[in-house]
Amino acid sequence: MKNALELSHITKDYGSFRLDDISFSLPGGAILGLIGENGAGKTTTIKCILNLIHRDAGEIRVLGQDNLAQERAIKEDLGVVLDESVFHDSLRPRDVDRIMARLYKGWDSALFARYCGKFSLPNEKTIKEFSKGMKMKLSIAAALAHRPRLLILDEATSGLDPVAREEILDEFLDFIQDEEHSVLLSSHITSDLEKCADYIVYLHRGRVALQGGKDELLESYGRLVCSRSDLERVDPALLHGTRISQFSCEALVKNRRDFARRYPSLTVDPVTLEEIMVFTVRGDCK
Amino acid sequence: MIGFVYKDFLLQRKQLTYVLVLCVVYSVLSLTGTLSPSILSGMVMVLGMVLPMSAFSYDDLARWDKFAASTPAGRRGIVAGRYLFTLLLLLLSAALVAVLLLLFRLLGLVEEPLAELLLPVPICAAMGLVVNAIILPLLYQFGVEKARLVSMILFAAIFGGIVGLGFLAKSVQLPALSDGGVLLAALVLILVAAALFALSHRVSQGIFARKEL
Repeated sequence: MKNALELSHITKDYGSFRLDDISFSLPGGAILGLIGENGAGKTTTIKCILNLIHRDAGEIRVLGQDNLAQERAIKEDLGVVLDESVFHDSLRPRDVDRIMARLYKGWDSALFARYCGKFSLPNEKTIKEFSKGMKMKLSIAAALAHRPRLLILDEATSGLDPVAREEILDEFLDFIQDEEHSVLLSSHITSDLEKCADYIVYLHRGRVALQGGKDELLESYGRLVCSRSDLERVDPALLHGTRISQFSCEALVKNRRDFARRYPSLTVDPVTLEEIMVFTVRGDCK
Repeated sequence: MIGFVYKDFLLQRKQLTYVLVLCVVYSVLSLTGTLSPSILSGMVMVLGMVLPMSAFSYDDLARWDKFAASTPAGRRGIVAGRYLFTLLLLLLSAALVAVLLLLFRLLGLVEEPLAELLLPVPICAAMGLVVNAIILPLLYQFGVEKARLVSMILFAAIFGGIVGLGFLAKSVQLPALSDGGVLLAALVLILVAAALFALSHRVSQGIFARKEL
């Protein structure tokens, strides 16, 4: 399977913040969730991919082509949704259609109208009158209507209610039914990514803290809740992070099966992406 | 790039309507003798200054540039589109004013010779090009807020300079230019303005290519 996106050793130094040696790839026909706390470097990574900022080092290949040398050709095949509506308040969906038709060779007005209908976006209203969810749906309709092969979404679901988020996630799942299509979705709402992502890259303080197949990560990692004395007899090499409170101890276990074999008396629960994030950010990482 | 130009015109629909209303008002005032018909030519320059700047404000407000740079037209298309929009705005408004003045003359509503009526139109359009050649790179470099101040100073300096030169010309009794001389001066001004505008486009492309969006 070809990679839709490959980042190799991407570095960008702002002085106060450094995106440091980021490498990951997104296979075709898959959704990759880019997670991390606010300021972890998700948007900076996406800006590097879109060449909105100038990276200091590294290489990016989008749909098999260098993102700087073949920028124009690549962008014909990219659908981009940024974290907020970018269309001017006085425009209407039909204006967006006319503008985008002059920007993308592959723009399909009928498809755009179909998405607008599907998302219940009124054609006669100005964007100023749209709710936040409607604005995001309009951005998604605009990103999909030129039939892109790769969708890049930066916090596209943040600030939306659960119903709108579910509807949008379903659209992404529908999009990748074609194996030529892929999605890079950055979000700090990890539950969204648990629903739809195939791969996870977790950025923490500008570095890749964790990456892999979502199912493998969730299968492999686990949450140990035990007493302090139990924790003391566990091999620290098996733990990714611990949180010790007055009444109990919690730890992120790296390999649940291996751990269960070695410590059958201790119970390890399934873990969520959010818990993996929280342990890494706030836990006493060892 | 054409999409960006189209978007700029779409967003300026309301302002363009106001301009048309102003055109009608100034036409009436010119025809009643309250104002000189050359005021219409001056509108070309004012329009050419105000609307490109407000296009920058609209884009800033919508955070459009980040998205626009993600489209196939990219950064180069954004800059080229804005220059094309400015050029079209000046040409279209100059054409509109020229047609109006021509109509006034043909209908016998004004008495000035046709050449005298029409010559200020391309001169004002050329001045509009010069002003934009200076302001557009500043807008790309410093953003709308800082560049607005610079443009106001520039606007005041140009008009102050024109008025000052007028007084100076009267006081020192400069020899009047022949008709051919006036035409040649106008032609040189237009060519210089066009060259400056082209140079300015290159400078803006350089500035915007380096910008972090």
